[in-house]
Amino acid sequence: MTPQPPTSSSSTSGMHELLEQLETLEKTANLRSSIDDVQNAIDLLTTARANLAAEPQSAPLTLAKLQDPLKRNLEQAQKDLKPIYSGLNKYGKALDKKFKDKPLPSASNDALSSHPQLINRAIAMHLLRGGEFAVASTFVQEASRNPPHPEPTPSTPNPALEDSWEKELAEDALNSEKLQEQFEEMYHILDELRKKKNLAPAIAWARQRSDVLEARGSNLEFELCRLQFACYYVGHRPPSDDVMEDSDANSDSTAPGPMEAWAYARREFTTFQRRYSREVRQLMGAMAYWSNITESPYSRYFYNDYAWEDVATSFTREFCSLLGLSADSPLYIAATAGAIALPHLLKLQSIMEKTRTEWTTQNELPVEIPLPPSYHFHSIFVCPVSKEQSTDKNPPVMMPCGHVIATESLQRLSKGGRFKCPYCPGESHPREAVKVFL
Amino acid sequence: MAELTTTKLNAESHLILDQPLLRMPYELSRRNQKTAQRYIENSTKDVLSNLTAAVKASTKSASPDATLASLDSIITKMQGLKRKMENLHEEEMRIHKSNRARLEHLQDLYEVQSLVDVKYDEWSRVRLSRLLVDYLLREGYSESAAHLAASQEIQDLVDVDAFVACHKIERSLREEKSTTLALNWCKENAKELKKHGNHLEFDLRLQQYIELVRQGHEKGIDGDIDMYGDGVDGISLGSSRAGGGEQKLMEARIHAKRYLSGSEDFKLLGRAAGLLAYKPWDQVEPYASLYSPTRWTSLATLFLKTHHTLYSLPPRPLLHIALSAGLSALKTPSCHSAYAASSGNLALSSTTSVCPICSTELNDLARNVPYALHTKSIVEADPVVLPNGRVYGKERLKGFNEGLGTEKGWVRDPVEGLGGERWRESLVRKVFIM
Repeated sequence: MTPQPPTSSSSTSGMHELLEQLETLEKTANLRSSIDDVQNAIDLLTTARANLAAEPQSAPLTLAKLQDPLKRNLEQAQKDLKPIYSGLNKYGKALDKKFKDKPLPSASNDALSSHPQLINRAIAMHLLRGGEFAVASTFVQEASRNPPHPEPTPSTPNPALEDSWEKELAEDALNSEKLQEQFEEMYHILDELRKKKNLAPAIAWARQRSDVLEARGSNLEFELCRLQFACYYVGHRPPSDDVMEDSDANSDSTAPGPMEAWAYARREFTTFQRRYSREVRQLMGAMAYWSNITESPYSRYFYNDYAWEDVATSFTREFCSLLGLSADSPLYIAATAGAIALPHLLKLQSIMEKTRTEWTTQNELPVEIPLPPSYHFHSIFVCPVSKEQSTDKNPPVMMPCGHVIATESLQRLSKGGRFKCPYCPGESHPREAVKVFL
Repeated sequence: MAELTTTKLNAESHLILDQPLLRMPYELSRRNQKTAQRYIENSTKDVLSNLTAAVKASTKSASPDATLASLDSIITKMQGLKRKMENLHEEEMRIHKSNRARLEHLQDLYEVQSLVDVKYDEWSRVRLSRLLVDYLLREGYSESAAHLAASQEIQDLVDVDAFVACHKIERSLREEKSTTLALNWCKENAKELKKHGNHLEFDLRLQQYIELVRQGHEKGIDGDIDMYGDGVDGISLGSSRAGGGEQKLMEARIHAKRYLSGSEDFKLLGRAAGLLAYKPWDQVEPYASLYSPTRWTSLATLFLKTHHTLYSLPPRPLLHIALSAGLSALKTPSCHSAYAASSGNLALSSTTSVCPICSTELNDLARNVPYALHTKSIVEADPVVLPNGRVYGKERLKGFNEGLGTEKGWVRDPVEGLGGERWRESLVRKVFIM
């Protein structure tokens, strides 16, 4: 391990130097003193005017005597601009230094200018899914009033050809009030969940889509109901649950919470018996610990601070997937990944300029971008023989021994006959290899 | 080795997208200071000469009232200067305030060490909002831009006003076919433009000349009119003197002599002179293209380009730059594959996160960008393969089947869910991916 250099010692790290320069501009090197000079000049003039009004005959002398001081004052006003000038100069130099090795990325691989409609659509959806409904509606209006102008790019030299279908796509998304309604529903349910701790709307939503959710193997409905059970158990009732209020008031039971939970479970949990029998049994077991639930093995179901955030997250994820969307804004993930990738791409660009090489594989980036693991969404198969990524044309195949290589590598190795696996002694025939999907 | 560095955040190199954020307030401050200087210089000259005149007049025994009046007019001028300076000072402090907010925003990034830190997430969301506002402004959607900036409370981090001013000039060229605003802008920025060797002003003057010639030809030559008559008042594009075509052509010549003769592009000047002989409807090149209305569009584009260069703004929206890079970094061959992927797939979101490139918003947009380079396979731990060839991590497959309530001893394929086939667990076999 190499020791970390102290971060604050050098003024070049961070924005400290620029902030210092800015402070000078804010505090001293600004227009204030020049304005004071101008005010002094005005004072001189008004005094002279008063004298003149009192003694008109002194005019030539008063005016003549005024000339020099006025000139001096005005010159001072100009001189007092100098600190601003030099302050800005210093600031500018610091700014240049800060960004000396960070050139503005050129738009050499611009594939987007020819698809402004698609970008607009992505932005509209980003705003909607972020709950920015008012901004989204302003944007939709403005964008349909002034549709964007696609510009040709290397990959799409004639954007006008594709313009019409993109426009339809975009208008579909832009004008679809449906999408907005859907996200409004999502935010309403999330709001009830997070702020009011009210599970009812989320449960109703999940129940309506029970079949779809089950087919996807989603646990959402059960998770919501389990949390509801826990709420009853610890005596937290949803705000709208008036029905139970009366019975609660004159109940002399020592444990009204667990009793309500029990009643809730009997009413609602029957549908979960098949898939979640074990979990339901566990919850029922909790009834035995009603007096000291916090110390029981069940406490984690009942005193979990993250439970609300967890169900809110799973709810958002399921809600978005049913709309065909990822849970986090793709625009956000892509822009962030882009910012992480840019330094690497720029480095590559400068190397290519220096060595006068061209980037030959148009389908694939010429440099590997290290992204955090959370930015990997699909499995990646790189053939250990050819070092190429698998594609639809060159898919991975598994040999009987269980090792996987790319189809092209298999063809090259086997030349149509029996061959030995490059990773184990296993021998096989190409027709025994099966295509696998990652 | 690569895995070790993937989550480390190097703020210094991460700021590539953020240079324009700081350039803009700096350029605005400089312009503000220059304007102040111009005001003071002009007023000084004006006021001192007024005072000298007043002194002279008073020695020649001007009436006391006249002296007082001239002094009053000087005072009024000085008060005017002070008012203007106060406005500039206000503007100056506003720029500094916004600049401070920007520097502090960037400084925040230096406090974050890791790309997986929640703080980085927050910072990056603010950055996206900034990039979106920048994009909206460039596309001319200034209402949306202002609305978004207000709603995200990032007004100090974006330049709505500067872009609105810029687009007003651009539109005056593109839509109103008027050079007035653009020429004013050139005048305000004359020094910088000269330093950059920019020809925007020349092109604007050339356009004025072309319009004069056009008007001349359109009016036609109606009889003998004294070509050297009065009324040649330089550029009067809007004036509709009913003096016939020659008058306009004459104006055009004078205009050319005054504004265009300095150019060393003799070929262009030759063509410009040729316009006098060719009518707009003659369809003879190269004159037809000089007469073409599309020149206004190119002027508007040239203005934008000049404006952005002067303010150190990149020619394309930063969002394009970030997105192009990001789409490629994230894109895999699976994203536009004909076969469903075993992870990141929409149908599977209960067990994995949906890939942003596969999501509706970006899928079409990413079609034309290259995919990311990988030199090593990335697969889940303990990969197993189902009889249909689909590969999953063992744990995830188990978890999915539990959630689905698959009968004991059987498995189903997560991509196909309940509707798909089921197999005996014994048919699931281990697969080796190196």
